[in-house]
Amino acid sequence: MSSMHLSQVRRWLLQSPPVEWAILQLRELLIGALRQGPVPQHVAFVMDGNRRFARSHGIETVEGHNLGFEALARILEVCYKSGVKVVTVYAFSIENFKRSKYEVDALMDMAKVKLLQLAQHGDLLDQYGASVRVLGRRELLKEDVLEAIDRSVHLTKHNKGAILNICFPYTSHDEMTTAIRDTVIDYSAPLTSQPRSFSESHITHTIRARRLSAATAILKVRSHSPSSGGTSDTEDSMSSSTTLHQDFPTPATTAIEEEEEEDEVSELKKFQRDTYPDPETITSEILSDHMFTANLPPLDLLIRTSGVERLSDFMLWQCHEETDIVFLKCLWPEFDLWTFLPVILEWQWKRRKSVQREKTPVSLSQKLVKSA
Amino acid sequence: MVFSKETQIYRQDVRQQGTFLTPKQREDLVKPYMPKSPPMAAVAQKPMSQPVRSFARNSLHLLVFTIIHAIFSVYIRIRQTYHIVLDRIFAILYYHHRAPELIRQDVKKLSRLPEHLSIILELKGEERGAAGLGALMDEAAEISAWCACVGITTLSVYEKTGILKAYLPNTHRAVTSKLHAYFGRRIPSLQIGAPHIPSLLNGGSSEELDQLASPQGHLSILLLSADDGRSTLVDLTKTLTEMSQRKKISPSDISLDLVHAEITDSVMGEPDLLVLFAPYVKLQGYPPWQVRLTEIFHMQDNSGVGYQVFLRALHSYAKAQMNFGR
Repeated sequence: MSSMHLSQVRRWLLQSPPVEWAILQLRELLIGALRQGPVPQHVAFVMDGNRRFARSHGIETVEGHNLGFEALARILEVCYKSGVKVVTVYAFSIENFKRSKYEVDALMDMAKVKLLQLAQHGDLLDQYGASVRVLGRRELLKEDVLEAIDRSVHLTKHNKGAILNICFPYTSHDEMTTAIRDTVIDYSAPLTSQPRSFSESHITHTIRARRLSAATAILKVRSHSPSSGGTSDTEDSMSSSTTLHQDFPTPATTAIEEEEEEDEVSELKKFQRDTYPDPETITSEILSDHMFTANLPPLDLLIRTSGVERLSDFMLWQCHEETDIVFLKCLWPEFDLWTFLPVILEWQWKRRKSVQREKTPVSLSQKLVKSA
Repeated sequence: MVFSKETQIYRQDVRQQGTFLTPKQREDLVKPYMPKSPPMAAVAQKPMSQPVRSFARNSLHLLVFTIIHAIFSVYIRIRQTYHIVLDRIFAILYYHHRAPELIRQDVKKLSRLPEHLSIILELKGEERGAAGLGALMDEAAEISAWCACVGITTLSVYEKTGILKAYLPNTHRAVTSKLHAYFGRRIPSLQIGAPHIPSLLNGGSSEELDQLASPQGHLSILLLSADDGRSTLVDLTKTLTEMSQRKKISPSDISLDLVHAEITDSVMGEPDLLVLFAPYVKLQGYPPWQVRLTEIFHMQDNSGVGYQVFLRALHSYAKAQMNFGR
């Protein structure tokens, strides 16, 4: 590592307590300053370049991934301290399963160890108020890794301050397909008509009975409706009699209720055959709500390291509209506050510009209105 | 970068699979980096207990913020100027002179070319109406001509509002006349279409032109708008929902391949290269399904369509290596 060949003196100097303290203070100061401006609410990282870093520095691939994890920890600290609410990281793509078994296993082991360590430090996470979520195809993972995930997710569930989304086996195509499928499933469930306390048949009966009772009131005759036949005959007569004689014996009333219920069930079945939610009511918001990132603030900033200018199946649905996408030349293990700072500053600068641009026409029109 | 003692201890721990340190020791390691108290509580309590100190800290942060941003905006102006100058130099060095031979010469050394090129254009000066549309058409026509010269067979033009789609015959005419300006009488056959709109093949041009054109190659242009992005996926969902409600398919039939095939057939396949003529990468609603592995090219601080941008995009594409997750 070229940085490891630094002269002993410089290393000694930088490691001396006062200098270390000063660097720490400077970092805190810069992060505190960043908070003063607009801060992206949701930032996503594609952690690319671990292997290339390892290759170029002559260390093992697994070591490169470990260094990448350190970079992630550093950048999470910066993000949460400066007020970013949600951080989404692309940890493992479904495509990555194509890599050598050795590397995949090492990555899985690393994830497991880190997540278990995370679970040991629940109170520290509480101090950040951060909760962990894992997005992706869980069924592709092994039991032990799943267990570790569930433990750390469960442990941090109550934290509301900040969210860390780990995309672990994830691809955006898979996410979109899942969202479409889930929406279809949602809309293919027949509308369960809420068991209302009124049934249509009862209402028609009542109406008919009303008419009959009006007739009987004139005729003073106990009516057995002659027009209707079959099963409805008895029911009709019963209900009409109930309306006529409120003090009817109880067994008869229960019989009516039973029949009403039967009627209702058959009606429900008929209802279920036809009614589904209208597919025309599906909107892109509904699809968004079926994505893994449902209910999170919109993605403001997406950063990909290592100079590759591709999205590689990451957050396509989330980033294709207003998100600022930034491609950086540096490799992920080198990513730090000092490389992140210019990106954030430029984002703040752009945001302020666009706010100004939005404001000027408004103030102009206001002036016009006032002058008029 | 110099690593502190803490980092070295931490790495020792990592090498031994997290057995070197006890959880307690590990916590002590990160203590100095922790925020002083939970962030929520900090907001609520700090101003109460130490109003002066927190006020001083806030003002200091605001001061630093202002200074940093002042420096940064100077830096950004310098950078913009630098890039504009560089852009001008490139524009002079590489000018196409409307000569297909020159353009071919410029890309001769490239190891590979995109088969499907995609561009994002912006309708400028919306309030001026016709002028904005004219400029947009001219840009699209110019890029089409370059593509035809280089030998790119598919070009998709994304423009958010979809105004080009509404003026499909006009666009066809504009591109054809531009091609004539580059190629003379014999122009490549040209097909312009948009998803769900029947495409125009060689527009209103005469039969004999069609026959003459074929040896010059072929260019098909696809016009896209924001409707071909999310809305297409929503439409697909609606159709699938309807089919599922009628029990024609079961939800488990909906697979990635099915969605991919449907989206590809109804809109387009994945482009190889996406060129933005904007200073920043912002996709403005570009079809999300298709940008999966597309190489995205933009030039920092550049705004406006230029041949040098197009050329640099092709150069950077030829250099880029793909590794499909491996």
